[in-house]
Amino acid sequence: MKMNRRTVLGGIGAAAAASALPFLPAMAADRSIRHFWWGNPERDKRTFAVIDVFQKNHPEIEVSGETIGWGDYWTKMATQTAGRNMADLVQMDYRFLFEYVRRGALKSLDDHIGKGLDLSNFDKGPLSGGMVDGKLYALNIGSNSQVIPYNTRIFEEAGIDADVINWTRDDFAGVCEKITSHSGGAIKGSDDLSLFIENCEAWIRQNGRNFYDEEGNVQATAEDVAGFWQFWTDLREAGVVRGKDKTLILDAPMAESGLITGESAMVLYWSNQLVGLQSLTKDKVGAAMIPHKPGGAFGQFIKPSMFMALTRDAKDVDGAVAYMNDWINEPETTAILGLERGIPANANVRAALAPNFSEVERESVDYFNAIQDKVGALPLPAPKGAGEVRDAYMRIGSDVVLGNMTSQDAAAIFIEDAQSIVDRAR
Amino acid sequence: MRRFIARNAPGYVFLLPWFIGFFLLALGPILASLYLSFTRYDMVADPRWVGLDNFEYMFTRDRRFWKALEVTFTFVALSVPARLAMALGVAMLLDKGLRTIGLYRAIFYLPSLLGASIAIAILWRQLFTADGVVNQVLAVVGIQGPGWITDPETSLYTLVALAMWQFGSPMLIFLAGLRGIPRDLYEAAEIDGTPRWRRFTRITLPLLAPVIFFNLVLQTIEAFKTFSSAFIISNGTGAPADSLLFYTVYLFNEAFKFFRMGYASALAWVLLVIIAVFTAIAFFTSKYWVHYENDRD
Repeated sequence: MKMNRRTVLGGIGAAAAASALPFLPAMAADRSIRHFWWGNPERDKRTFAVIDVFQKNHPEIEVSGETIGWGDYWTKMATQTAGRNMADLVQMDYRFLFEYVRRGALKSLDDHIGKGLDLSNFDKGPLSGGMVDGKLYALNIGSNSQVIPYNTRIFEEAGIDADVINWTRDDFAGVCEKITSHSGGAIKGSDDLSLFIENCEAWIRQNGRNFYDEEGNVQATAEDVAGFWQFWTDLREAGVVRGKDKTLILDAPMAESGLITGESAMVLYWSNQLVGLQSLTKDKVGAAMIPHKPGGAFGQFIKPSMFMALTRDAKDVDGAVAYMNDWINEPETTAILGLERGIPANANVRAALAPNFSEVERESVDYFNAIQDKVGALPLPAPKGAGEVRDAYMRIGSDVVLGNMTSQDAAAIFIEDAQSIVDRAR
Repeated sequence: MRRFIARNAPGYVFLLPWFIGFFLLALGPILASLYLSFTRYDMVADPRWVGLDNFEYMFTRDRRFWKALEVTFTFVALSVPARLAMALGVAMLLDKGLRTIGLYRAIFYLPSLLGASIAIAILWRQLFTADGVVNQVLAVVGIQGPGWITDPETSLYTLVALAMWQFGSPMLIFLAGLRGIPRDLYEAAEIDGTPRWRRFTRITLPLLAPVIFFNLVLQTIEAFKTFSSAFIISNGTGAPADSLLFYTVYLFNEAFKFFRMGYASALAWVLLVIIAVFTAIAFFTSKYWVHYENDRD
């Protein structure tokens, strides 16, 4: 045979096609799903382990995991949403769920219930948190509540014997004072928790109002917020909370909280984060409630800590639903997940986990059980613009921490700004 | 025509990569953002035309827009002269005909390469936190430093310091400019016994004016566009108390945090206009203070 340029090229092409042939059936069945979540080192470790398990049980489906911190998560998510390349499965937060459903970014799960998605052992309460307009859009992968994690060693050394489930605002202030004076000022009673809007929200609810009313308007009053900020201003001026230099680093990572650095004895988190916190310190972490207002309403609430949701851009829907189903039903998977994302809503899963609880997991469950009748109703999902209100809260609150504004003046400005933010977001 | 091509073709060939990038990657988004600036667009639903609403809100009701302008203008006013002075100073030190000049040039240029990077911004943050290196050094001499970046009184100055340190590229341009000043002028002045300072103000500065002008325009534009360092040091929020709310940081937050792409596009176009106005002012006033050697008048 005479070789020329064309035959050589043709030959190479044919050879390449032939060598690819054996792989064709595999490629036809090539299925892949992407899972995107916000995480921390502990959560990422567990989630990748779960992916490995799924991969072992479903070798035909390829799962890739993407993780990033909370702060950047929503930016990346918005960008991917706009670019129409959302991951198939995304972790969702209660406050953003409605926004994403309303924008048409998520697919309803209704068609898969009983077919691929087994909800027969799933608690009804946690399930309803993921419903929008009567349809299920997001699967609860854990419940949590606010918590004040505290350093039990420092509490013991200062001789504190407070009932941290039923304590009052005054008790809290007293404990801060006692810890600070016992350590000669080296250890403060608490981080300055005045810039956490979740903390302020609990205070407002104790006063008998929600942050937002049913129409999504700001229901909190300037007096509510001023009272809260003044409570913390008093503690700050008494020198019993951590200094403003640290307070003003907003959304600082867990490892920089006073509880972990040893600069203070108390912080504020969500209860599922107890597991992550405990992994960062040798001292045993205890769980206290946000202090109550004597004679007031309950401020805290139990909420879905995280959801998993199926997105509009999901291609292999069956594969994604199978993966999702494993998260709430498959024993090996649920054992790896444990309580890190919150208390599971599947009764069987909880029962299976109980015998193997670590100390901190036992502590989390005990805390969760102890607060059941000391919490108020879950507030309605926050309106559009709530994320921005949170930013405004921290920004204006910073001026109070710095002493540039009185609690009263700042609170009046904040409430006005908050309402105009939700108005503008409509 | 043929001569024109022959003479200019190499230039255009070298410009080609830029042209390709501009037409393929930049032009489309730029035009799209002009359109978006007249819409309300949350990145998920389709953009909705709102006319001049974005601009009206910006100028009449948006307090943070004015705050962002204040922060950015303060930064430009402080950092540009500081960086240019630093660059000129170092350039004059290096303009001594040293044999190892290449090495020094590279060393002094290094911060400019690094300065734009995220790593340096993070490092800067570490240096200036309440218990950072700066305060530890101050503590040795008995000074209790403030939390430089968490105190709104000082936070902007840490960024001015960072900007000052990135004097590399204007320095290189100054150095080239200094080389262009005829030595005999200095020799003549020296023979006449002109003091050093007068030699600087009467020979160096006037002859360097075109270069200073060029650097001023370029650095002003750069300073208006400062983003990554401010973003990192303020945790992306402009905190504390909006003291680091650079215009670009505000723009980024409006776009990617609050999903107001339309409003953010409007902000971007206003920034473009601001920069254009400042550049125009520099050009129009330049005839009073910039003299080119081959000027006829």
